[in-house]
Amino acid sequence: TAASQSKNAILVSNRQKGNPLLKHIRNARWTFADIVPDYVIGQSSCALYISLRYHLLHPDYLYYRIRELQKNFKLRVILCHIDIEDVVKPLHEVTRTSLLHDCTLLCGWSLEECGRYLETIKVFENKPADSIREHTDSDYLSRFTHALTSIRRVNKTDVITLGSSFGSLSRIMDASMEELARCPGIGERKVKRLYDTFHEPFKRVT
Amino acid sequence: MLPFEEQVVADLLEDPNGGLVVLSSGLPLASLAATLLLHLHHQSSSTSSPSTSTSTAAAGCYLILSAPEALKEQIRRRLLDSQLLPVHDVGPDVPAAHRRALYTSSSGAALFLTPRVLAADLLTAHLSPTRVGALLLLAAHRASDTSSDAFIARLLRQRRLLPVYAFSDRPHAMVAGFAKAERAMKSLYIRRLHLWPRFHVLAAADLERAPPEVIDVRVPMTPPMVGIQAAILDAMDACLKELRRTNKVDVEDLTVDKGLFKSFDEIVRRQLDPLWHTLGKKTKQLVADLRTLRKLLDYLLRYDAVTYLTYLDTLRVSEGVRSVWILADSSHKIFELAKRRVYQVTRPDGTKVITSIKRTPTKKRKVADTSSNKGKETENEDSTTNKDDAQKVNALEEVLEEAPKWKVLRELLQEIAEEQSKGDAVVHEDESGIVLVACKDERSCLQLQECISKGPQQVMRDEWEKYLLGKAELHGLHKKKKKRQSQQPKGFGVLDGEFPAGPSEDAGPVSIRNLETNALLAAASGISKLNKEADVKDDSVASCSKRGSIKGKGKGVPKKIVTKRQASNRKKKSTTENENCQGTDVEASDKTDEQSEIDVSKVSAKDDKQSEIDVSNVTAKDASPASTADNAENLIDAKMLPPVQFYALDSDQHVLDTWKPSVIIVYHPDITFVREIEVYKAENPLKKLKVYFLFYEESSEVQKFESSIRRENEAFESLIRQKSLMMIPVDQSGRCLGPTPASEPEPILSQNSLTRKAGGRRATEKDMQVIVDMREFMSSLPNVLHQKGIRIIPVTLEVGDYVLSPLICVERKSISDLFQSFASGRLYNQVETMIRYYKIPVLLIEFSQDKSFSFQSASEVGDDVSPTNIISKLSLLVLHFPRLRIVWSRSLHATADIFISLKTNQDEPDETKAMRVGVPSEDGVVEDDVRAENYNTSAIEFLRRLPGVTDANYRAIMDGCGSLADLALLPVERLAELMGSQKGARTLKEFLDAKCPSMIS
Repeated sequence: TAASQSKNAILVSNRQKGNPLLKHIRNARWTFADIVPDYVIGQSSCALYISLRYHLLHPDYLYYRIRELQKNFKLRVILCHIDIEDVVKPLHEVTRTSLLHDCTLLCGWSLEECGRYLETIKVFENKPADSIREHTDSDYLSRFTHALTSIRRVNKTDVITLGSSFGSLSRIMDASMEELARCPGIGERKVKRLYDTFHEPFKRVT
Repeated sequence: MLPFEEQVVADLLEDPNGGLVVLSSGLPLASLAATLLLHLHHQSSSTSSPSTSTSTAAAGCYLILSAPEALKEQIRRRLLDSQLLPVHDVGPDVPAAHRRALYTSSSGAALFLTPRVLAADLLTAHLSPTRVGALLLLAAHRASDTSSDAFIARLLRQRRLLPVYAFSDRPHAMVAGFAKAERAMKSLYIRRLHLWPRFHVLAAADLERAPPEVIDVRVPMTPPMVGIQAAILDAMDACLKELRRTNKVDVEDLTVDKGLFKSFDEIVRRQLDPLWHTLGKKTKQLVADLRTLRKLLDYLLRYDAVTYLTYLDTLRVSEGVRSVWILADSSHKIFELAKRRVYQVTRPDGTKVITSIKRTPTKKRKVADTSSNKGKETENEDSTTNKDDAQKVNALEEVLEEAPKWKVLRELLQEIAEEQSKGDAVVHEDESGIVLVACKDERSCLQLQECISKGPQQVMRDEWEKYLLGKAELHGLHKKKKKRQSQQPKGFGVLDGEFPAGPSEDAGPVSIRNLETNALLAAASGISKLNKEADVKDDSVASCSKRGSIKGKGKGVPKKIVTKRQASNRKKKSTTENENCQGTDVEASDKTDEQSEIDVSKVSAKDDKQSEIDVSNVTAKDASPASTADNAENLIDAKMLPPVQFYALDSDQHVLDTWKPSVIIVYHPDITFVREIEVYKAENPLKKLKVYFLFYEESSEVQKFESSIRRENEAFESLIRQKSLMMIPVDQSGRCLGPTPASEPEPILSQNSLTRKAGGRRATEKDMQVIVDMREFMSSLPNVLHQKGIRIIPVTLEVGDYVLSPLICVERKSISDLFQSFASGRLYNQVETMIRYYKIPVLLIEFSQDKSFSFQSASEVGDDVSPTNIISKLSLLVLHFPRLRIVWSRSLHATADIFISLKTNQDEPDETKAMRVGVPSEDGVVEDDVRAENYNTSAIEFLRRLPGVTDANYRAIMDGCGSLADLALLPVERLAELMGSQKGARTLKEFLDAKCPSMIS
């Protein structure tokens, strides 16, 4: 059971002992272990923690840590804590190092945020990407709103106005400038933008 | 053209660097630009041969950047009139090859261009700077050192010392931000600032030589309107107080006075932007609410009572849950009063049903406050109509308050007609007799037109019927979905027009609400029945008879006599006012010092108490909405009216020269239009012109108009101060050095060094290049990269935004883009394709220099892993795409540095290869670099969001029908053919034709 337990928990390297970040890992279990990365989050993902303040003092640290990591982690996260004001130069260095050594950089502005990244990656380990993909099925009104709001500056109020003035999407798409202009709250420019979207050909040049 | 314009142009031409002209809005920008172009043309053709050895014999073309459509049209007209200068409009739809031909052939021509196209053409050397004679910018207030205007100015000035002439007619925008004018000038290589406010001595003299006759008409608002205005102002005040309490904004700028303007949002946003992402939801909502409230204030004066109520209903649905203000006491008042302008519910016993309205709306807010303390529920004067109308159960009594200005407008028109028919003044040949009515928007124009042709009563009735039909439809719908409705949470009460019951209320809100709904539905069903009958009968007859049945109080007032008397009344008044007006005009020309703004002094005619009283006398009698004018009579009256043209100010067309009106009625006062009238009059000094201003008395309209003048003057004062302190660096020959002199070697010098330093040392330095997607020229990053000395290759990329090397491809996201494209799922697709084609796919998260460097406020992190949080979305993204690299950049400049650093030790990217990446091969078409311009991208985005439309079939749909409008009409069989799927076609067709649920309750 020890093995299965460690499978469901974030493994934390002994080097991280005393890192106040650990206080903020509350939505996932974690346990100290003898590992090379700072955190082993799942089967194929690990993380190194670095604060920008520390990086300023030890600019080579990150590079050496990355070199120790084995290649058998698919996702190698550099978790960077932005804890200084003047970030441009150190952040540039951290970015460059992680990018050129096949690591994914994630930034947190507080220890809570940093901890949350670790938790979330653990919790979402096997989650499908549905919530960040295009939504495929939903009710009429959301689809209707989704389509109309693709036109710049058309807001939800306008969507309702258009819907109730014309009755159907095809009627809106076929409406004349004048009809569109009669809708309250839809100004001259919005009328033109709507009209152009519907009436200008998809391909301007044939 | 006016004499002072000559002076403006002469001043501009003095400096070979060009100059920046800031002028009051409404002054003739188009005519100035055209005159300048003609002068330039003339100058170059006369001195073309020997004088300057460096410049080529031909003058080169004149580039005019980012001219709005209306302005473009005006300039074009003026240039064509002169027949000296050919004009070409190089829109984004002109193919690249055609553009190139135009550039090479059109020396000495004026070209209208968009910055995006021009920047790309300069970078790809389609257009050589040596072919350019001058650069004209017509919206200088948009220039900053990272703007595309500045980018173009630099691309041009690097190679050739041509003049840049910049104009702005938005002085208040020129002072937004620290030393904005100076920074804009530096970025455009301009040394001189020319200020031409309306109060400039020369301008004022020209415009005041023969001023038009101005009559200021003050129309009192109806008591409910006054009440609504007060309530909105209260609500705004409350929002502002709340916003101040956040301690995040500078209190001084936040006044209700400023809140009337669009620019108010800018003020607030400018202050809050640096910390926008750290703000709580509530503060953001407050800012949004203020915007909504300002709209409400505006629409109160612009829309008729029924439309206003409709809009409020819509708002309640769309904003209801989120808004802070909508729950406030004063907003309750807004809704109630707006309703009361339209209808009133009566009980079977004939007494009014009064929902809790705690204050009597009166003109002064203080009075209102005291009466609210008493907690008395009083009736509005206007709605006390006859109470013995007891035959109906829960009858709906229509109030249908007309906009007070309608009546005044009609009277004015009648008066003008009388004057014209009398022919007291011998009508000149050149006088059209046309009356121009200027309103804010097209909608008002249409409605006023109907008011005149059908009569205001009929217009209100039509709107009312539409409203009721909407209700009836909704009810039908709700019956079907009753189950769902009953499950609605309690908190939605406000959406149904119910408000938390106050303790003082005598009747339960629910019962009142039911009464009201029933009454509304009864009326609605009556109308829909009648409408069916109307198929047989004449429509107007039907509605007339119905009106009789519901209201039952068509009073037989001998209307004709009344109107006549009013007309004569008004006439007297206007003549006295004419005298007054002339008086002030004389005064105005007497004091020619800078403060004698003509529009101020003219408007000062309003101080004439006499006129106010007169108008209110006239209208007060008939302000009560119940008074009816017979339709037939209206129609007869209409025949007597003079020729009327309507003009929507929003359309930005300049119609004065085309219609040549002899009378202008400014229905919605606007400072820019006032100036246009002045200029028109000054250009036609012999023409008689009478201008009527229609103001709602003590309304936000007046306030807005006055403070717009004040605001502009303040802007100019500030610019005058700034001008005296300005420091623009120039070299010894007086050339401007521009924003970053260090990174810009002068062309001659670098050529010399090339030859001198045997073999060209520069050539050994690696000439870095980055391939940039055409669409990215909307952002400033290409500009900044160029500033750092990177060669920019603009192409159209199917995958990614920037290609740094054969391996590295970057998708750039600003913070708001990032949130948006996570929400839409676009980012997922983009990353997916990037990973497919590049070894090092990079997501660049770019923060704005001016905003705080953080993702979210601490409060948003929350205690739990929430799937909607940005952290969750990013985590999910990296879990699914472990190969994706993320770059977090503090600013544009930081991004440029990171790009350079990543590129070292990498090969240069190959543009033809980059272009081909991700382009579907079945397409077969060679993609040229204007691809982005050749598509109606907005339509494509829309199309792709429709159900049934997929990545696989959207191209076929696009090929199969011309536009979305065509698509809407396509039969399902044809759709199935195009989409290759019966099911998909059906889904799409059903969605398109589905009946929208009427969402307004």
